[in-house]
Amino acid sequence: MGLLWVLVWAVVAGAGAFSLGGIALWRHEPVNSIWLIVAAACCYATAYRFYARFIAARVMALNDRRATPAERLRNGHDFEPTDKWIVFGHHFAAIAGPGPLVGPVLAAQFGYLPGTLWIIIGAVLGGAVQDFLILFASMRRDGKSLGQMAREEIGTVGGFTALATVLLIMMILLAVVALVVVNALKGSAWATFTIAATMPIAVIMGLYLRYWRPGKVLECSAVGFVLVLAAIVAGQWVAESPALAPLFTLGAMALAIAIIVYGFLASALPVWLLLAPRDYLSTFVKLGVVVMLAVGILFVRPDLKLPALTRFVDGTGPIFAGKVFPFCFITIACGAISGFHSLISSGTTPKMISKESHASSVGYGSMLLESFVAIMAMIAACVLQPGVYFAVNAPAGIVGAAPAAAVATITSWGFPVTAAQMASLAKDVGERTLFSRTGGAPSLALGMAHIFATTGGGRALVGFWYHFAIMFEALFILTIIDAGTRVGRFMLQDLLGHVARPLGRTSWMPGVIGASAVVVSGWGYFLIEGVRDPLGGINSLWPLFGIANQLLAAIALCVGTTVLLKMHGMKYLWITAAPLAWLVTVTFAAAWQKIFSPLPAIGFLAQADKLEAAMRLHPSAATGTLIFNARLDAVFCGVLLVLVATILADSLRVWAGILRGTRQDPVAESPFVISQLQMEES
Amino acid sequence: MRLGRLLLQLLRELADENAYARHLKARAVPHSPEEWRRFSNTRLAAKYARAKCC
Repeated sequence: MGLLWVLVWAVVAGAGAFSLGGIALWRHEPVNSIWLIVAAACCYATAYRFYARFIAARVMALNDRRATPAERLRNGHDFEPTDKWIVFGHHFAAIAGPGPLVGPVLAAQFGYLPGTLWIIIGAVLGGAVQDFLILFASMRRDGKSLGQMAREEIGTVGGFTALATVLLIMMILLAVVALVVVNALKGSAWATFTIAATMPIAVIMGLYLRYWRPGKVLECSAVGFVLVLAAIVAGQWVAESPALAPLFTLGAMALAIAIIVYGFLASALPVWLLLAPRDYLSTFVKLGVVVMLAVGILFVRPDLKLPALTRFVDGTGPIFAGKVFPFCFITIACGAISGFHSLISSGTTPKMISKESHASSVGYGSMLLESFVAIMAMIAACVLQPGVYFAVNAPAGIVGAAPAAAVATITSWGFPVTAAQMASLAKDVGERTLFSRTGGAPSLALGMAHIFATTGGGRALVGFWYHFAIMFEALFILTIIDAGTRVGRFMLQDLLGHVARPLGRTSWMPGVIGASAVVVSGWGYFLIEGVRDPLGGINSLWPLFGIANQLLAAIALCVGTTVLLKMHGMKYLWITAAPLAWLVTVTFAAAWQKIFSPLPAIGFLAQADKLEAAMRLHPSAATGTLIFNARLDAVFCGVLLVLVATILADSLRVWAGILRGTRQDPVAESPFVISQLQMEES
Repeated sequence: MRLGRLLLQLLRELADENAYARHLKARAVPHSPEEWRRFSNTRLAAKYARAKCC
C-alpha cells in the first residue's frame, strides 16, 4: 500500500473514530443523524478493508484457483457461477428482514447510543464474521447447510441441537412478527385495507405469471407494485367512508385470527398462487425502500431528538423491561449479529459464488449493509420527539389507556408530550390514534414518513408515506409468515412420515392440512398470548425471539470455531471465540433474568407468582391463562438454554480433544479442484 | 450504463428470470407456458423449503 493509500485509510479510520467518539460523548446540543452515518460508513469501510481482508487472506486462505461448488456442481438451478454483485444483492435481499428495522426501534428506549454502538461494533466483529465464516465453510463443503456442518464438525448431538433450535426459533419468530403486524394494523382501516388488498393483488399476479404472461416476473411485479400503490391511495378513501371504514377497523384479536387463517391458507395453497408473487413483490419493494431511506436521510439530515442515553438504561423501560446489559444486545439481533443469517450463508448463496474471493464481499459486506439498514432504522426512530416515541411504543398497560393518563405518565418521565400533539400527528397520518401502537412498526413508519415527506411531498403526503411504510413492513412480514409456516409444515411432515408414511407425503391433502394446522396452532398460540398480554406482548415475545436468534448465532460460531481450530489450532481462535464468549454471556444472562428475575416485569416466574397472588383475591379464567403463559414462556426460555448449553458442552469436548491430540478430526473440506473458469479468464 | 446493466441483471436474478433462461439453455428447449410452469414448480418447491430470514 502506497503512502497515499495509507493517508486515505488513516483519514477514513480517523473520521470513523472521531464521529463515533462525537456521538458517544457530545451532550450539549442535538446530534445530527449524519454523524451516525459517517461513523457507521467509516467503521464499515475500515473493517472491510483490513479485518475482512485479514480473515480472507490469513485465516481462510481464499484461493481463486480452487473451483467453487457453483463451478464443480453446476446444474443450472441451485449451483450456478454468478456475478459477484448479483450474488451480493441476492444474499442481502435474503438476509434483510424486519429484524434490523424493528430491533433498533425498540432498543431506542435506552437512547440512541447503546444501540448504535452495538450495531456497529457487533456487526464488524461478530455478525459479519459469522456470516463470512459460515459462507466460507459451506462453500468449501459443497454448499452444506449449518445443520449438516454442525453434525459433521461437532457431532450428532450438535446437528440435532441446531435443528431443534431452528424449529423453536421459527415458532417464536412467526408469532412475534405477526404481533408486529397486528399492532400496526389494529384500529386502522387505511392500513388494514391496504394490507388486505395485497392478497388479491398477489393472487392476480400469480395467475398473470402462471397463465397470461408466463416467465415475465419483472413485468408482473411492476404491475403488482402499481396496484399496491393504488391500494394505499384507495385505503384513504376507505378510511374516510362511513360505510366501509367499520368493515376494516378491526381489533387486535380479530386481526390475529385473520393472520392465523391467512398463514394456514398460504401454507396449504400452491406456492405459485399467493406466496411466490408476494415474495417477488416484497423483495423489490424492500430493496427500493432501503435505497429510498438512505437517500432521504442524506437529503434531510435530520437531528436526533432522542437523547444519547435515557433513564431507562436502569431496566425500568416501558417498551420492554430489563437493563441495557444484557437486553440491548438481544433486542437488536439482526442489525448486529443474527443466527438466522447462518442459515442463508449455508443455503443458496454458497452455491452461486463463482470465485472464492467473492465470499468476502458477499458474506462480510452484505452483513455490513444490513447493519447500515439498522442504523437507518435507529435514525428513523430517534428523529421523533421522545414524548411521541414513548407515546407510540409504550403499552397501555403501563402508561394508561386514556390519552390524558398516557401523556401525564410519559411527561412525568421527563419526555413532554400532549394529547393535542398526538391527536394532530394521528390526523396528519390519517389514523384515529397513535397511542400504544407497540411493536416498533408504527414508530418506524412515522420516522420514515417524516423523512420521505421532507424529501418530497411535504405534510400533504405524510399520510401516504406512513401507510406506504406500514405496507412495506407488513408485506415482507407476511411473506415470512407464509414461507415459515410452510417450512415448519415440511419439517413436521418429514418427522410424521416416520410414524405413518402418508403423513410424510407433501402431496397428500389430509397430511398437508393436518401438519399446516399444527404449525399454525404453534405460532398462533404465542401470537394470541401476545395479543392478550396487558403489556402488549412485545414486552415478553421480542426478548424471547432475541434470545433464540442469538443462541442460533452461538451455534453457528461454535461450528466456525471448530472449523478454525481444525485449520489452524489455537492461532486464530480469537476471531470466533471472542464474539462467541460475548454472545454466550449476553444470552445466558438475558435468559436467566427472563426466567428467574424476582422482578415481575422481567422474570416470567415472578410474573406468574404475582398473577397467582392476584388471582387468589379475584379469581378469573383470563388471569389463569396469563399465569400459564408466563410459565410456558419460562419453560420455552429454559429449553433454549439447555439446547445451547448442550451444543456448547459438546463443542468444548470436541475442541479439548483436538487440542490434546486425542481426537483426529481432519478438515472436512471437499478436495481441491483447479478452477477452469479462472484458467479461462487468465 | 454498466451500473444499469448490473442492476437489471440483479433484478432478473431476484425474479428468477435468469435462472429460467439458464434452465432453457441447459435443456435446449424454447420458452413455452408449460416449460415455465415446469421450471417454476421445481424452483419454487426448493425455494420455499427453506425458512426466510428475520
